[in-house]
Amino acid sequence: MNGIHDLGGMHGLGPISPEKNEPVFHEEWEKRAFRLFASTFVFAGYTIDEFRHAIEKLEPAHYLESSYYEHWLHAFEETLSKRGIVTREELDARVAKLKKEDH
Amino acid sequence: MLLTPEIVPGLVATGASARVDQQVKPSFSVGDKIRVRNYNPATHTRLPGYLRGKLGVVEADYGVFAFPDTHAHGLGEKPQHCYSVKFTAVEVWGETASTRDTLRVDLFDDYMVPE
Amino acid sequence: MPKPHIAAPESDAAIRVRALESILAEKGLIDPKAIDALVDTYENKVGPRNGAKVVARAWVDPAYKERLLKDATAAIKEFGFSGLQGEDMVVVENTPEVHNLVVCTLCSCYPWPTLGLPPVWYKAAPYRARAMSDPRGVLQEFGTELDEKVEVRTWDTTAELRYLVLPERPAGTEKLSEDELAALVTRDSMIGVAKVNSSAA
Repeated sequence: MNGIHDLGGMHGLGPISPEKNEPVFHEEWEKRAFRLFASTFVFAGYTIDEFRHAIEKLEPAHYLESSYYEHWLHAFEETLSKRGIVTREELDARVAKLKKEDH
Repeated sequence: MLLTPEIVPGLVATGASARVDQQVKPSFSVGDKIRVRNYNPATHTRLPGYLRGKLGVVEADYGVFAFPDTHAHGLGEKPQHCYSVKFTAVEVWGETASTRDTLRVDLFDDYMVPE
Repeated sequence: MPKPHIAAPESDAAIRVRALESILAEKGLIDPKAIDALVDTYENKVGPRNGAKVVARAWVDPAYKERLLKDATAAIKEFGFSGLQGEDMVVVENTPEVHNLVVCTLCSCYPWPTLGLPPVWYKAAPYRARAMSDPRGVLQEFGTELDEKVEVRTWDTTAELRYLVLPERPAGTEKLSEDELAALVTRDSMIGVAKVNSSAA
């Protein structure tokens, strides 16, 4: 698809700004997101191509504004809910429950 | 299948190559001039937009791989050759680009036509 | 009176990950110990020191370098580096005439077994947008200047081949051991945004 991810040659996206000595993971939740990839590939049987395409379909502004592991999270939710392994309702309910527990 | 600790080292060390062990006739040989097809699927592709319609030269044939464009949508592997194709900077970006620099992109058989 | 510590609110993404993880664990679909092992592997065990070893060997052993350029996957596997996101490797050599740079404009493809997980800048929009169209500008941003006469070759990782740059061995390193040479090789030089210096910075 001619999506926002097809970035080669685009102008105006700003400086590269490499971070010196950056850690492999910046937040605990990124580790949680990273480690889900192998497990979900193994039991859900989706291809890396399907995973990438799920990310490509992110709303364009959100794609540019969100971080890399947020892209992964979106792809897990999309591919797993498409397969009925987890439903959006289950995810929303659990998020609501966890938010309540935090307060 | 559940991913257990015992499986992890083997999985990491072996990975999951996209190569397909099948004899498929390549459409192109090293040295061939090609033109990238004006191909604009609304579905998944690994053809970057900046190459559409551009002239290139096949530099290497990497062998037979699963085709992402179909594989992403459960439409099968459609195994085909994947090539390293050379483009000049001027061809892709225009007259003001470097006359020396080149781009090297991995392209599937289906993305190209002979020139 | 000291202010009470108020913890930062958990981010939206963090809660969503916890939610997904807890549901998958309840359904028996993930094993917490297995997934911890994955983090440990890529946070602590796999990284650019792997690629540096490959580069140093190629610098000191011409026969190895020939094998590396001919069949990178097999040559890299001689060190025990293989697998996920490095199943099909290609090594491209920098020379006085050619400088190579690697990018994945469409996402973030990167050779994990030799370089570990990619840095944020490699996966972000600015690098992905400019590496193919303005490689010299990108290199300048990293403080790397190239002679006009050098051909810059930028590789877009659009398929499942994974690329590693074999940087030039710096002058004045003839007396260094293989280990000392490996210590000079940076991740950035194996992506192609930098050259290797004769003394570790």
